[in-house]
Amino acid sequence: MALAACGSSGPGSSSGGATYWFLNGQPQEGVRTGAVDRFNKANPNEKITFTTFQNDAYKTKIKTAIGAGQAPTIIWGWGGGTLRTYAKAGQVEDLTSWFDQNSKVKDKLFPSTFGAATIDGKIYAMPCETFQPIVLYYNKKVFSDVGVQPPQSWGDIMDLVPKFNAKGIAPFSLGGQSRWTNMMWLEFLFDRIGGSEVFQAVFDGEKDAWSNPAAIDALTKVQDLVKAKGFIEGFSSITADSNADQALLYTGKAAMMLHGSWSYGIQQSDGGDFVSSGSLGYMNFPPVDGGKGDPSDTVGNPAQYLSISSKASDDQKKIAKDFFTKGVLDDEEVKQWIGTGGVPILKGTQDLLAKDKNADFLTFTYDIASKAKTFAQSWDQALTPTPAETLLDNIVKLFQLSISPQQFADNMNAVIGQ
Amino acid sequence: MSTTLTRPQQQAAPHRERQHRTGPARRPNWLGGLTSVLWLAIVIIPIYWVLITSFKAQSSYYVSNPMLPPGEPTMQNYRFVIQADFIQYFVNSVIVTAGAVIPAVTVSFMAAYAIVRGWSSRFLRAANGLFLMGLAIPLQATIIPIYLIIIRLHLYDSLLALILPSIAFAIPLSVLVLANFIRDVPKELFESMRIDGANEWTTLWRLAAPLTRPAIVTVSVYNALTIWNSFLLPLILIQSPTQRTLPLALWNFQGQFSVNVPAVAAAVVLTTLPILVLYAFGRRQLLGGLAAGFSR
Amino acid sequence: MSTSTTHQRGRGQRGFLPWLAAPALVFFVGFAVIPVVGVLALSFTTWDGIGAIQPSGLTSWRAMLSDPGLLHAIWITFLVMIASWAVQTPLSILLGTFLAGHQRYRGVLAVVYFIPLLLSSAAIAITYKALLDPNFGLGAGLGIDFLSQDWLGRPTLAFSLVVFVVSWQFIPFHSLIYQGAVRQIPQSMYEAAQLDGAGRARQFFSITLPQLKYTIITSSTLMIVGSLTFFDLIFVLTEGGPGDATRVLALDMYKRGFQASLMGPASVIAVILVLVGLALALLLRRLGGRDASQSQIEGA
Repeated sequence: MALAACGSSGPGSSSGGATYWFLNGQPQEGVRTGAVDRFNKANPNEKITFTTFQNDAYKTKIKTAIGAGQAPTIIWGWGGGTLRTYAKAGQVEDLTSWFDQNSKVKDKLFPSTFGAATIDGKIYAMPCETFQPIVLYYNKKVFSDVGVQPPQSWGDIMDLVPKFNAKGIAPFSLGGQSRWTNMMWLEFLFDRIGGSEVFQAVFDGEKDAWSNPAAIDALTKVQDLVKAKGFIEGFSSITADSNADQALLYTGKAAMMLHGSWSYGIQQSDGGDFVSSGSLGYMNFPPVDGGKGDPSDTVGNPAQYLSISSKASDDQKKIAKDFFTKGVLDDEEVKQWIGTGGVPILKGTQDLLAKDKNADFLTFTYDIASKAKTFAQSWDQALTPTPAETLLDNIVKLFQLSISPQQFADNMNAVIGQ
Repeated sequence: MSTTLTRPQQQAAPHRERQHRTGPARRPNWLGGLTSVLWLAIVIIPIYWVLITSFKAQSSYYVSNPMLPPGEPTMQNYRFVIQADFIQYFVNSVIVTAGAVIPAVTVSFMAAYAIVRGWSSRFLRAANGLFLMGLAIPLQATIIPIYLIIIRLHLYDSLLALILPSIAFAIPLSVLVLANFIRDVPKELFESMRIDGANEWTTLWRLAAPLTRPAIVTVSVYNALTIWNSFLLPLILIQSPTQRTLPLALWNFQGQFSVNVPAVAAAVVLTTLPILVLYAFGRRQLLGGLAAGFSR
Repeated sequence: MSTSTTHQRGRGQRGFLPWLAAPALVFFVGFAVIPVVGVLALSFTTWDGIGAIQPSGLTSWRAMLSDPGLLHAIWITFLVMIASWAVQTPLSILLGTFLAGHQRYRGVLAVVYFIPLLLSSAAIAITYKALLDPNFGLGAGLGIDFLSQDWLGRPTLAFSLVVFVVSWQFIPFHSLIYQGAVRQIPQSMYEAAQLDGAGRARQFFSITLPQLKYTIITSSTLMIVGSLTFFDLIFVLTEGGPGDATRVLALDMYKRGFQASLMGPASVIAVILVLVGLALALLLRRLGGRDASQSQIEGA
């Protein structure tokens, strides 16, 4: 279009520095803001302006922005399928050669983090921030009050459910309205029962991958848990964005919760002395009796990812790349992430982790992330948006008990490979 | 039929007390009365709750009785909301609303006048038909192409992106109501204007406008209300915080601070306050015009 | 006489009139008609909102028409339409009739009743969400179990809540319409009926209701065509949930297009919305039998 861009006031076309969008929500927001502020101070000629968004709103808004050609210079994301759609549409910069030229930047990060950033052999994003495996949290105080031990297997979980319900405590908190929170349950069950190959088949586009008996078993077990009232009453209307689900754990209304490792930081800042008094327990998801999966496997976000919009001006791209080199995961940012209970994806941080007041949790997370046989990416990020949406919709129905495992499998089989 | 009966009744009418001239009989209407009171409660309770909650401190909100006014009213929620840039959002809403309503009503008035006065023209009859069909076209259905058009016009993320489609979708109803009113202006008045040598343009502004004033006010207020409260357009076409309008800002605010119920309540009050103030001043026109315009 | 002179003067002026209508036409065609055509065109494409728009014939249509989700969305929209009409119309007529007759309270009541109409759907939805929170809302605070149910988490409850909030928002508006109409019914008809011994109820059904025929049609048209495109309220209140219990057509279109990146199928839904809207409007107008070009005042 040869129209002059005079009417446009969008961030992507301004010549006043680069723009950067990321999620809000403390304490992570503070760390990201801090990184940008430090970069701006150290580089007064290269300014980055940021805008924050809520999780679910962000996922939609970023797509609208990219489609409008008004994407921010630096695009925060989870890599995987969404990044694939950006790359295929030519909306993000190919950074492969840049990383070759700046190998120091690449080498200081864990190689496994580049998996979700690589599309068809080319790298389209810079990994950043922290490992985020999904963790099974529990309220130690509630457990000791009720007189039970943390579960060591799926059978233990099912046994614990009636015990907590009898005391008026919800066995598991769940922010069901956010949908990806429900998904975490399926991710682990699939893996523990049938191994990581089960979902890998879906990802690879194999026909009828969802009808794998291990998958059906996992789906059935989840519904068993729902039927046994394993989740807090009203979970379908609780959102994770508002941290209401986490509040239920630290206020003792729920005994356990499956959530991302980032929740530690939130519970630390919002839960009063819940974390500091040692009441927060955490463990990897227990194995399922008779399951084939490796108990060291984990799921979650292998890292977070920053991409550069291909529609940004050359100046803006340069600013972004400078930020990648100098600003991302500088010493101060690393320290701050550790302070929130997050393990940065930098190599060689074990000493720093061991010295922090949260050393236990940090080492726990570090071990899980580095020693997991497979660290599977969250399904809704691994898949492209269309099957991801279908997946989330079906997961909600599954948890509402309005479709059967077989119907779920049929519905998902229909969108494999899209 | 009834006409023959009215004459003797009219003599009896003064005996019927201070009350109504129309409507059903005098005996107390229990069902109606009860319903009204019940409905009054249903309408008032949420509004009352929002008001008192907005003055409560967040810490004491969870322990206090939700229906009782605050023991120690505080303005901190309002300060918090205003600090969250609500003044900017208010200004944006004003710009969009005024920027859309004024052109919309003006062009609709001109079109309505043309349609009524030029009914013999096939073009104008067709235009009228087009506008009437437009009444049934929902804005929601066209949002995706509008998104594309706005992008091509390089207007994405600007207030103009909200103004232009709003004008377009305000036109059908405005033309309909205004045309109805203009039709009721007696033809003799138009004739006398013509005899005095006025052309259509002068007639439009000197005769039709003043006579149609109630309808113009009604249509303006109705459109202003709709556009002020519109949500879908900003949701899709606006991304920068500085360009947000009040409903979008409110939604964002609630999403971020949903646990802080008193702050959300204050935000709701602040977004609604301008409209309520206008309502207090323009109520008579709005009620009268609306009922008359739609009862036809 | 004057007729010939007016014709002569008039013909020159008649050419001017279409220009008066031109600006409105430009806006309307540009931002309403062209998008409608655009939506039709887009329904024959495949587009993810990010990459290029690819023409794809009937692919999106076939995908949508065979998707049970579409039928479900249509069903839910239809249910919302009927339910909100069934709740609003009797209540509005009742309230409107009552308001018409009672001078004293009418003023005050009308002021208060009108307030819900002034609030944005977003504000109303947010208020009710907070009010009905099972843990922190009105029900929990006052100990009223009925109010502290899981309104947003159970399909039937969520649906009922949507219908309720819609009614809360629009009954005042429709009551005012009915009130205006009832006040125009000549007192004489009621007096005659009373002379004949008809009671209140009989008067209502034999006089009030028939006289309200056109008003009922107008009000119902507004209600039904309006309810076809509910978005704001439901989006903020339930986002279509729980699951898809309140996923009306407009919401389904938004989610398919902007969240699932399926702009083609979303456009198919949009075309359906336009067609149904047009059909409904035409149908209701036919029922009313009114010729919109005539003045409504008798004898003008």
